[in-house]
Amino acid sequence: MFRAQRVFDGSRLLPALLVLVTGCASIPPSVSELPAPGGSIELEDTPFYPQERYQCGPAALTTVLVKSGATVSLDEIVDKVYLPGRQGSLQFELLAAVRTEGRLPYQVDGTLDAIWRELEAGRPVLVLQNLGVAAIPSWHYAVVIGIDAGRGEIVLRSGTDRRRVTRIRTFLHTWRRGDYWGIVVLEPDELPATADRSRYFEAIAALEQTGRAEEAAVAWRTALGNWPGDTVALFGLANALFALRDYRAAEEAYRDLLERDGGAVVARNNLALALAEQGRYDAALQEIGVALSQSRDAALERELRDTEATIQRRKAGGQ
Amino acid sequence: MGFEKARGALTRLISVSIICMGFAQVAPAGMIGTGYLLEDESRAASISRMDILLARADVARQLEAFGVDRAMVMERLDALSTAELLELEGKLDSQVAGGDIIALIGAVFVVLLILELVGVTDIFKSF
Repeated sequence: MFRAQRVFDGSRLLPALLVLVTGCASIPPSVSELPAPGGSIELEDTPFYPQERYQCGPAALTTVLVKSGATVSLDEIVDKVYLPGRQGSLQFELLAAVRTEGRLPYQVDGTLDAIWRELEAGRPVLVLQNLGVAAIPSWHYAVVIGIDAGRGEIVLRSGTDRRRVTRIRTFLHTWRRGDYWGIVVLEPDELPATADRSRYFEAIAALEQTGRAEEAAVAWRTALGNWPGDTVALFGLANALFALRDYRAAEEAYRDLLERDGGAVVARNNLALALAEQGRYDAALQEIGVALSQSRDAALERELRDTEATIQRRKAGGQ
Repeated sequence: MGFEKARGALTRLISVSIICMGFAQVAPAGMIGTGYLLEDESRAASISRMDILLARADVARQLEAFGVDRAMVMERLDALSTAELLELEGKLDSQVAGGDIIALIGAVFVVLLILELVGVTDIFKSF
């Protein structure tokens, strides 16, 4: 482990070395995709948390969280994402920590254009770079805060550098080796600048699974604003309302969905439970009956039978 | 020695039962989560509650083995989605862990320095 500086001018070496690197130096296509070829953008008000040894993950994550308005300290984030035995942080745990702050982690498309659009929307992009090469990896999280397309440069909050300027070319090499992995932190009522429906929906569903129903409900409503009447988003909204114990509103959302897709067996199963929660057991059992007549899947049918039994038990117990 | 062993077993037992309780809070009985519609249907149906419980227990053990403070293990576990848990099960040691870890030796250093100078790598000012 050491630090090194560029202490001599490498340009004289270049001609001799070009042969060596052509094999791995193909330029990713995304350079040319920038919407404004000569333009530049930089989110100068992005905070800076210089990293401690190995802790680029917590530092980068705190940077994007605080930029999105979360009140969180670097120490808290270290506790949530740093893995001492690996001297680093896992991508999944960064996503998880974003959720614990009531926000939505969204993985952007792996293009410079996607980064540009998020920057335009005021969101810096947390990226995974491999600063080394595949055989000798040096994994690093940093935050892209600006692009200067005219000068071919990208600006990062990185490690202990408040404003690290890297050539776009070089950045794209390091980002490619990180599988073009990059995330933005969204407030639940924000849409990503370039929203991929299924990736965005999965991100919201993860909020639901981790007990963040309130934020999930807001996010599903936001999704419905962009994809009106989308049955998955309606199902998500209904489930979030159910988890919030607003059974009346959940019922309405399930019915709205079933009006659009009468064969949505899973929605009918949950509708039955929402009715049972309101003490309307007969109506609930009727819905389960319909769902059972529609189900073509053995595993799903077992679920429906379980639900039916649960509702019958509760009806008999009068509770 | 015998005492230590027994205590270890007991701790494991207790931590498993706490994990079960944590899971029970997440989904009400009978509810089918939104993830079901996002997953490939056959895969969604094949993931049982037991699979999820086992994945949680495994990831908890790994987090602790990699030095996460006991008090934080549950909180970190709860923040992971089902897909993430299943993805991490048994694989914590092979996942990418961003943290600037690099060990360099002689010839490797020279190659990296060359790659750095032509803009392929970006290691030397990074930490």
